[in-house]
Amino acid sequence: MDLKKFEKPEYFVNRELSWLKFDERVLGEAKDKTLPLFERLKFLSITSSNLDEFYMVRVASLKDQVHAGYSKTDIAGMTSKEQLASISKATHELVQQQYSTLNRSLLPALEKAGMHVILEHEQLSAKQAEFVDRYFEDNVYPVLTPMAMDSSRPFPLIRNKTLNIGALISRKDKKKGKESLVFATVQVPSVLPRVVIIPSEKEGDTTVILLEEIIERNIQKLFLSNNVVCAHPYRIMRNADLTIDEDEAEDLLVEIKKQLKKRQWGEVIRLEVNEKMDERLLNVLKEEFAISEEDIFFINGPLDLTMLMKVYSQDGFEQYKTKKYTPAPVIAFQNDKSIFEVISEGDVFLHHPYMSFDPVVNFIRQSARDPEVLAIKQTLYRVSGHSPIIAALAQAAENGKQVTVLVELKARFDEENNIAWAQMLEKAGCHVIYGLVGLKTHSKITLVVRREESGIRRYVHLATGNYNDSTARLYTDCGIFTCDERIGEDATAVFNMLSGYSEPKYWNKLIVAPIWMKDRFLKLIQREADNAQKGIPSEIRAKMNSLCDPVIMSALYYASSCGVKISLLVRGICCLKVGIPGLSENIHVRSIVGDFLEHSRIFYFSNGGKPEVYMGSADWMPRNLDRRVEIVFPVEDEQIQEEVIHILDLEFQDNVKAHVLQPDGTYVKPDKRGKTLINSQMEFCREAAEKAAATEKAKQNSRVFVPVESAE
Amino acid sequence: MAGATFAAIDIGSYEVSMKIFELSKKIGLKALNDVRYRLELGNGAYARGRLDTEMVDYLCGILMDFRRMMKEFGVEKYRACATSALRELKNPAVVQDQIFRRTGFQVEILSNAEQHFLGYKSIAAIETGFKKMIQKGTAILDVGGGNLQVSLFDKDALVSTQNLKMGSLRIRERLKQLEKATTHYDQLVEEFIRNDLTSFQRLYLKDREVRNVILMGDFLTDTIFSEDVNDNIITKTEFLKRYENVAEKSVQQLSEEMEIDPEYASLVVPTMVICKNFIDIFNAESLWAPGVSLLDGIAYDYAEKEKYITSAHNFENDILVASRNIAKRFSTGKNHIQGTTAIALAIFDSMKKIHGMGSRERLLLQLAVQLHDCGKYISMADVSECSYRIIMETEIIGLSTEERSIIANVVRYNNEEFEYRSSFMDPAGMSSSMYLKIAKLAAILRVSNAMDRSHYQKVEGIKAVLKDDELSLILDSTRDLSLELGLLKDKVDFFEEIFGIKLILRRKKKTE
Repeated sequence: MDLKKFEKPEYFVNRELSWLKFDERVLGEAKDKTLPLFERLKFLSITSSNLDEFYMVRVASLKDQVHAGYSKTDIAGMTSKEQLASISKATHELVQQQYSTLNRSLLPALEKAGMHVILEHEQLSAKQAEFVDRYFEDNVYPVLTPMAMDSSRPFPLIRNKTLNIGALISRKDKKKGKESLVFATVQVPSVLPRVVIIPSEKEGDTTVILLEEIIERNIQKLFLSNNVVCAHPYRIMRNADLTIDEDEAEDLLVEIKKQLKKRQWGEVIRLEVNEKMDERLLNVLKEEFAISEEDIFFINGPLDLTMLMKVYSQDGFEQYKTKKYTPAPVIAFQNDKSIFEVISEGDVFLHHPYMSFDPVVNFIRQSARDPEVLAIKQTLYRVSGHSPIIAALAQAAENGKQVTVLVELKARFDEENNIAWAQMLEKAGCHVIYGLVGLKTHSKITLVVRREESGIRRYVHLATGNYNDSTARLYTDCGIFTCDERIGEDATAVFNMLSGYSEPKYWNKLIVAPIWMKDRFLKLIQREADNAQKGIPSEIRAKMNSLCDPVIMSALYYASSCGVKISLLVRGICCLKVGIPGLSENIHVRSIVGDFLEHSRIFYFSNGGKPEVYMGSADWMPRNLDRRVEIVFPVEDEQIQEEVIHILDLEFQDNVKAHVLQPDGTYVKPDKRGKTLINSQMEFCREAAEKAAATEKAKQNSRVFVPVESAE
Repeated sequence: MAGATFAAIDIGSYEVSMKIFELSKKIGLKALNDVRYRLELGNGAYARGRLDTEMVDYLCGILMDFRRMMKEFGVEKYRACATSALRELKNPAVVQDQIFRRTGFQVEILSNAEQHFLGYKSIAAIETGFKKMIQKGTAILDVGGGNLQVSLFDKDALVSTQNLKMGSLRIRERLKQLEKATTHYDQLVEEFIRNDLTSFQRLYLKDREVRNVILMGDFLTDTIFSEDVNDNIITKTEFLKRYENVAEKSVQQLSEEMEIDPEYASLVVPTMVICKNFIDIFNAESLWAPGVSLLDGIAYDYAEKEKYITSAHNFENDILVASRNIAKRFSTGKNHIQGTTAIALAIFDSMKKIHGMGSRERLLLQLAVQLHDCGKYISMADVSECSYRIIMETEIIGLSTEERSIIANVVRYNNEEFEYRSSFMDPAGMSSSMYLKIAKLAAILRVSNAMDRSHYQKVEGIKAVLKDDELSLILDSTRDLSLELGLLKDKVDFFEEIFGIKLILRRKKKTE
């Protein structure tokens, strides 16, 4: 497979620009008038938090590259500078669209729905104004710390991502008898709710105002002896990430490490200001933050739209929200058998959030209590606040089980959280490993060793998503329980490897990154290409979050050019182009953006009629394939394989939430005219609920008296 | 009943490894976990005879991890063995004690002969083809970090086994300085080992025909020979092709291509050169890497002892054949040995209750009989001392250093006056149980040997009867036994003193 000729820059899309396309698709959901109003607010809020993260990680990293003088181009042939310029243009457009959606569509609709969002304190009624002022004095004033800048006081430190109000105050210079303007700033306290409910003028309505407006209205009280000339909110984002983003190329990492000393710590990389901000005030900020024009965003509305999530979670307005879906119970476990009995009878498949995550938690809980269980080993990447899994692991250790937990401290933005509960686990007597140097452990695997009549038996849970019971309600993920001895042996080897011991001589079933996975995928792709050339029907279907590994993409181009039919479900970044003559005409790419975050990774290879299906934790990205410990596992049980193939089938039929990638790089929703509407996520909900209901009914119909068992 | 679990630990010269097994009568041995950690203990051991504190710390850390992993499978029984890295230390006992204090592991230092016997047990155990293969000339080549072991098989039995200090790590360390001076590292290695190889060929191989080479070792040898080969057998031509492919490559290249740690990769060329040279001198047709290690042998040995498995191959016989070959090399009379063996075993078997020794000591007795005369080859006047020295310096496969020392001492006190415990020459390293074994076996050997003083095998049959505290040896002979019986007096005294019973010798009556 000679891939050289497929590795031309014109065949690829820059990953950052592709990512921005994804955020646009999310914004598309906010614009979609067929969705319940409050759901649209939520999507708009998500675009905003997405964009924040993008700046903090990706833009920051590109800035680093420019400072380091790194001149290499990306796969699409763009230098870091060129990328930044394109990003700036695209994000400005995106922000523009965010606010026009908010102002033109969402706010008027909210108004109609009886939710008044007061954007400017000038709009308050006398009664409301009185309430607001009172609220300011009682709650806000005590926690404010206004700071002024003058000859004796330098420009204060403005914290990353915080919302602030900048003001110009005039001071009389007594000696010269002249008035001079002084810059002052006050942080909008993050300890107080940003969205404040105030009395409504009409009974039954809800009225809210943003905290910064309350402060702005009362700003004079902060500078009593001076006259406040103007006051406007602003927000900055700094390049303050301590770690270098793992997505970067190896040689770049080396380069940046060398340049680390030169790195401009805390450099401001984005400034958001209200578009009505006074020119003089803006100039002070520009100068003090040393920020260039293209990194300033003039906002027509409230800054930082993540606050919309708070509006979303206001009580009431249920008719404007999608009814919360309750995950269906997993049929295999709807009986009195122990979880181990069930698994030993056959592999069990889980599809979250359509099916409940409880069995996964129960797996750990039962293992913690079961007298025959000797050991529990698990990888933890991101866990929820009060994770029942952590509690069960601690319990297991206290019950004398050997508990080994791999805690990935490098999980982005979660470091502090992770350290806290890792220490808690250690105290409970768990053996905690903190991952491998230079490799993020992203695999999701749990191993339980149990001593049984017939000997030692290993139970394994493998998944595409994290062991996080809260995100399991929002992310679509797949998992499998098995006691296949070959997988059990591999699982033991995985944990040996994670504890710093040598890798095994061979793997029975699992495909493990960073060493073996990429080659294996290339071989699987190659096999389809070979089949196509021999005239054997061939097909590749794959579902993932992001696709940007150049080697894999070239291999896909090669396979497509050999005649392999390739259908991809890529939720986020996709650097591959479709419809290039002779290269990617056989490749179809679509992205599903729906109520749940598409998160599972599924890989299907038709293999000349004997399909091979894999699932796992890895995307086709260099970071997953080369710099992380990832696991992809085969789905061999026939029935489960069918279920997994069904997931792909349905998602490729989706014509409600799917966006199809076009040869020009845009994403378009398929034409629905005359077609039955298929919203795959809703279908899965319906299917799971129906199955569970059928089992429940069958259970009720059987006439067996069930004795009450003692409460747990 | 749930099966038992067992952990085998190998502290090798460049890696520390552990394998956890599940044992049951139904399935035999099943590996549950297999872990390795690269730790070059051999580095310090071979060069300075000492281990850095840091190394010991590392080792203890790994052993603590092993302990945890054992608990994960509920393992209680283990055997932790160290090989040349600890064997070649100046202060092995100190290190052993430190390890014990810090980790609770009793680490046993295997003698070279024990180590390789265990290794060879593992192949014999798992491979049914082994029995067939050793009908023809076969060599087992066990390339370790410190040493390598060559064992020759013919007609179903072990013929000879030799240890050469040419392990891969040792070679690499010795040649480190010279490496830069050459672009043909493989030739450098070849020249370095050539001399030892020629000696081996001249003295031990002679014109023996070796068709197959079985390659044993560890993870590394497995990696080199495991790829893309069916049943792990490669022909000589295939091997040479692979050799050409590897010999000129840099460590970096090898590490990338074979997907192994660069430290392991640096041992690839030395290992390959060793194999190539042996294949050359053997002129072997094929090479077989069954992929078993010392760990499998340790577990197999344990499972056999605990009766989870029964072996198809008679390993004791290998030890006996090997020692018979040693005796042959020193021109010991075959008939005298056979006669004496029969008498010694008759005595041994008849008084088990009195001496309280088991089958292992019975084997040692046979070996002592076989080797008791070998010193004559050196000096007729000083047979016992020469025999003692020969035995102490000769590797007898399957025996621990302690066992070999027992045999040597038994042989020595066959003729020399027994030195009682209080005046023992070398009290260090001599436990009281060892001392007693020597005394008991020597007493039996003395009597048995004396019965064939003339080396004419006059005693045609012997029957030993133990009644109360009286052991009667009933001899069946038509010939004049006056020489034998006449010189027996002091031997009988010693025998009676050691066992506290009366020994009565009489001829078989016509009617009996």
